[in-house]
Amino acid sequence: MGLLSIIRKIKRKEKEMRILMVGLDNSGKTTIVLKINGEDTGVISPTLGFNIKTIKYHKYSLNIWDIGGQKTIRSYWRNYFEQTDGLVWVVDSSDIRRLDDCRAELHNLLKEERLAGASLLVFANKQDIQGALKPSEIAKVFSAT
Amino acid sequence: MEPEPDHTKPSTSATAAGHRKHLAMLERLSKRAAAAAPAPSQDSPVAAFLSRFAAAKLAAESALSACRSSPDDAQLSLSAAAAAIDDLDRLVAEASHSLPPYELRSALAAASDLRAAHRLAASDLRPKKSFSFRNKSKAPKNPPQDPPPTLPPPPDQPNPSVEAILPGLGFRGRRDATLVKDLRVSDGKDGDFTLADLVSCQVYLKGKCRALHVHKLKDCRVFVGAVFGSVLIEDVERCAFVMAAHQIRIHKATATDFYLRVRSRPIIEDCCGVRFAPHALKYEGIGEDLRDAGLEEETGNWANVDDFKWLRAVQSPNWCLVPEEERLQTIDISDVQEREDDN
Repeated sequence: MGLLSIIRKIKRKEKEMRILMVGLDNSGKTTIVLKINGEDTGVISPTLGFNIKTIKYHKYSLNIWDIGGQKTIRSYWRNYFEQTDGLVWVVDSSDIRRLDDCRAELHNLLKEERLAGASLLVFANKQDIQGALKPSEIAKVFSAT
Repeated sequence: MEPEPDHTKPSTSATAAGHRKHLAMLERLSKRAAAAAPAPSQDSPVAAFLSRFAAAKLAAESALSACRSSPDDAQLSLSAAAAAIDDLDRLVAEASHSLPPYELRSALAAASDLRAAHRLAASDLRPKKSFSFRNKSKAPKNPPQDPPPTLPPPPDQPNPSVEAILPGLGFRGRRDATLVKDLRVSDGKDGDFTLADLVSCQVYLKGKCRALHVHKLKDCRVFVGAVFGSVLIEDVERCAFVMAAHQIRIHKATATDFYLRVRSRPIIEDCCGVRFAPHALKYEGIGEDLRDAGLEEETGNWANVDDFKWLRAVQSPNWCLVPEEERLQTIDISDVQEREDDN
């Protein structure tokens, strides 16, 4: 009984994923999380600190950490790296001026050892804005170093 | 009374006194324990963190100064310093959830300063080491050194003005001009609008847009109808903005006034001398534009500014409200016709 419950607990733990949402400020991280969770996105203030949302998907429970992206608080990102399963890098596809910044910050992040085991998703947000870069164009910019 | 045998009394009084003393001591002790017990539990996470952090910081600093003063053991003290700095980082990471933002920030700043000092010391050492390899006799001499050549700051990311390459809706690179755009008459799709590299311009944008990017403006006055997404303003000086938007982020603004209606809290970062006032703009049909953009309601958020460079409870010195007697009157731009003239 004891052993069984321990095994069950471990099994349950394995179904828990820790997902980190990061990216420059104004890329839409909080909006994405709230939207996926079916919440109101009408009034969202720039994130000071972080928000956590737990979303159930099939048997998985996704703990989504939505971390503020303002320049001043980017140095805190690394406080959240431990035990991360997935990294979502959100890009404002219409913010062409800061695309270089965006690439540099992502590359910094990928040097981090603690994130070595995590999967990376680059989220090319704001595709509905006219003049936004296509995902393929962003991929090209990001892979050219 | 006097002839009381004095061999019993002193002894009883002595034991009584001793007993009393003992009791008093016990009481004192228990009081002290009681006083001591709640103290750490009250502010223990922060106080404990601060003391541990201070200790680790001291260790790092002394190791760093040791590698200056005794160059022979420099490599050793350098790795000791590295370990101490790693300790600092770990401490901060562990405590990051319980720390108040200000403590967290100053701790992080201290840690990164130390890391920079460590990098400097390490880069200082490396050439010496290879030197000693070639010529052993000279190595220990270690000529007195000027303060270590400070590393040149990492070259700024070359920021080619991409806007020039990728035209989109916007006004760019103008001086002394009146720039007017009526977004209601332009072709359909929700776009963003860019204002970049403008000097001494008057900018009027009627209608709605999805996002607004503002970069490098000097001595400009900017009037914008409704932005139903976010506004990002960077690097502006001596300007005035009148606009309504869902989100507003302001970076590197100096001596600039913002007349805002905004659904969420406006934020500033690296700003100084910026002032805020309520929205004050009028043109024919602005009511409709604001309603369509979900901005008809005055939330009062124009005054709820978050300064990311001032994460403390007291008012930030970087911004204030425009005193009522100095505020602009509501500006009516109904008569401004679409144009792009130099004045």
